[in-house]
Amino acid sequence: MNRSLLQWIMAGAALILVLAVPLLLSNYPYWLHVAIVGFFYAILASSWTLLAGHAGQFSFGHMAFMAIAAYTTGILGRDLGLPPVAGIIVGTLLSGFVGLIVGFLCLRLRRTYLALFTIAFSEILRLSLNSELDLTGGPNGLHLERLLETTSRVPYYYIMLGLLLASLAFMYWLARSRFGLFFRAIREDEEAAAAMGVHVVRYKIMVFVITSMIAGLAGAVEAHYIEFITPNILIIAQMSLVIAMAVIGGIESLVGAAIGAILVQFALEFLREIPLPEALMPWVVEMGPRLEAIGLGVGEHGILTNAWRLVVFGLVLMLTLRFARNGLIFPIIDRLFRQRARKETVAKRVQAGEVEP
Amino acid sequence: MIELDVHDVYKNFGGIQALNGVSFGIRGNELIGLIGPNGAGKTTLTNVLDGVYKPNQGEVMLNGRRISGLPPYEVARRGLGRTFQVTRAFRRMTVLENMLVPAMALHPAARQKDFHDQAMEVLEFLTIEHLAGEYARSLSGGQQKLLELGRLLMLDPDIIILDEPFAGVHPKLMETIYEYIMTVHEQGKAFIIISHDMDSIFTLSKRLLVLNYGELIADGDPKVVKEDPVVIEAYLGEEEEEGPTVIPARRLAISEETGEGDDA
Repeated sequence: MNRSLLQWIMAGAALILVLAVPLLLSNYPYWLHVAIVGFFYAILASSWTLLAGHAGQFSFGHMAFMAIAAYTTGILGRDLGLPPVAGIIVGTLLSGFVGLIVGFLCLRLRRTYLALFTIAFSEILRLSLNSELDLTGGPNGLHLERLLETTSRVPYYYIMLGLLLASLAFMYWLARSRFGLFFRAIREDEEAAAAMGVHVVRYKIMVFVITSMIAGLAGAVEAHYIEFITPNILIIAQMSLVIAMAVIGGIESLVGAAIGAILVQFALEFLREIPLPEALMPWVVEMGPRLEAIGLGVGEHGILTNAWRLVVFGLVLMLTLRFARNGLIFPIIDRLFRQRARKETVAKRVQAGEVEP
Repeated sequence: MIELDVHDVYKNFGGIQALNGVSFGIRGNELIGLIGPNGAGKTTLTNVLDGVYKPNQGEVMLNGRRISGLPPYEVARRGLGRTFQVTRAFRRMTVLENMLVPAMALHPAARQKDFHDQAMEVLEFLTIEHLAGEYARSLSGGQQKLLELGRLLMLDPDIIILDEPFAGVHPKLMETIYEYIMTVHEQGKAFIIISHDMDSIFTLSKRLLVLNYGELIADGDPKVVKEDPVVIEAYLGEEEEEGPTVIPARRLAISEETGEGDDA
């Protein structure tokens, strides 16, 4: 069969499947919730991929921009009665504005220094949110108005999915355009890019503003869905989770990172409890105190993994970084959808008839 | 006609005077060799011309407009292109994408596919068109050098500065680079070629600049410059003399200098 036709059919089937999920899961609102949160992380991971994977700006502050928009809409809604949609717009714009400032401050910072700077920025924001009790509610968190007048999760599913697909489409277009070309040239070598006429400052700030706004938009919508936000969303572990999702998916692949995020989110839920046969349950209950002593717990149908499930992802992340630099998802997408795969091969040197000096 | 005027340029880093009142001009498609001992200021001069460094004093004019003080991307767009001493291809981008970066930077309204044919033509000229779809990092060192030269052509500059284009290059590749320089030169571009490879410099260049301790100690016909006692002492004599005597010889060259580079 024609290869590109096959690709279209596969892409179409995947889209129909994703759109039909609420019908299949309508009796399992919890899994619908996991999917919505998965889409939220997919937006974060893929926009971070654009920032770090494409443009080489290895920022640890991505969650901060997400939180800025979420807190903005929350505070404006509480104090000024601003409706959620308006709050989301204002919050997104503010995230972009702060992204502009941070991008500007980071202009001369490379790699490690950029990472340290953005960690500091994120931590300062987290501590400020924690201590500004009157404004943010501090560690007790902030309640937000519900986005829709419904208790069903189905509309939220489509809203978050729509956001994900729209932001992926936008970023995909951006990455394919001259902007993407310049982002990657800047990642590879700023001086050489400038010598080739690329306005490095403009594009570095641009990628910060765009990805901050996408993260902000996702954060604001998510906050109105969860109806609650605390400064804990800014702990380093959260940022690390987003990075792990992007790395596992494929750090240079927007779609790979998005799929990676969704899979990781589901896997995290599946791993909450290691199911065991009923027959073993009395034994588990008996072992309860010992399990709790090492951070595990007793569940209804097995052993609760609690924080240990994150260890699994730590291991997956380490193995991915060591053995699959392109991630685990991207190579699959690449194989299915690339017409003429470009291979990193040295075989052609021989063909060129050139001998290395 | 191409006009470059470097007027009394000074550049210092802390206490080190890297450029000490350098002045010269280019008229038309000249083919200029720039030589000097290590640390003479050749790369610093390139970086001042290209906009990476702002001169502490003096100015650089290109085609009647001041380019000193402009950022590198602006200098590049106005017609001055350069390569780097160490090859700096965009390694995790394909060869073709490498070629499109300058083209897209120069033509904001254009689309990438508008330049495919031109890029492929240039790659063909450089004998690496079969590698267009490969990542630059999978190319050999020599091929990456050719890619850098190709990228420059997509920028379509008036003046091309090549920083050590022959360093570590195989004889066969050397021929390709010679051909590149001569062909592009005939198309009306000016070249400044920095090299320690004297054979290449004397074969290619019609004019020779010699830098020593940040001062231009000679400027003229390569045959004449070659015989200049100051140049011989500062640089060309280096190879004939034994190691330790080189340093006093260079010191001599400074103290004997014509006073061109008096402190400001």
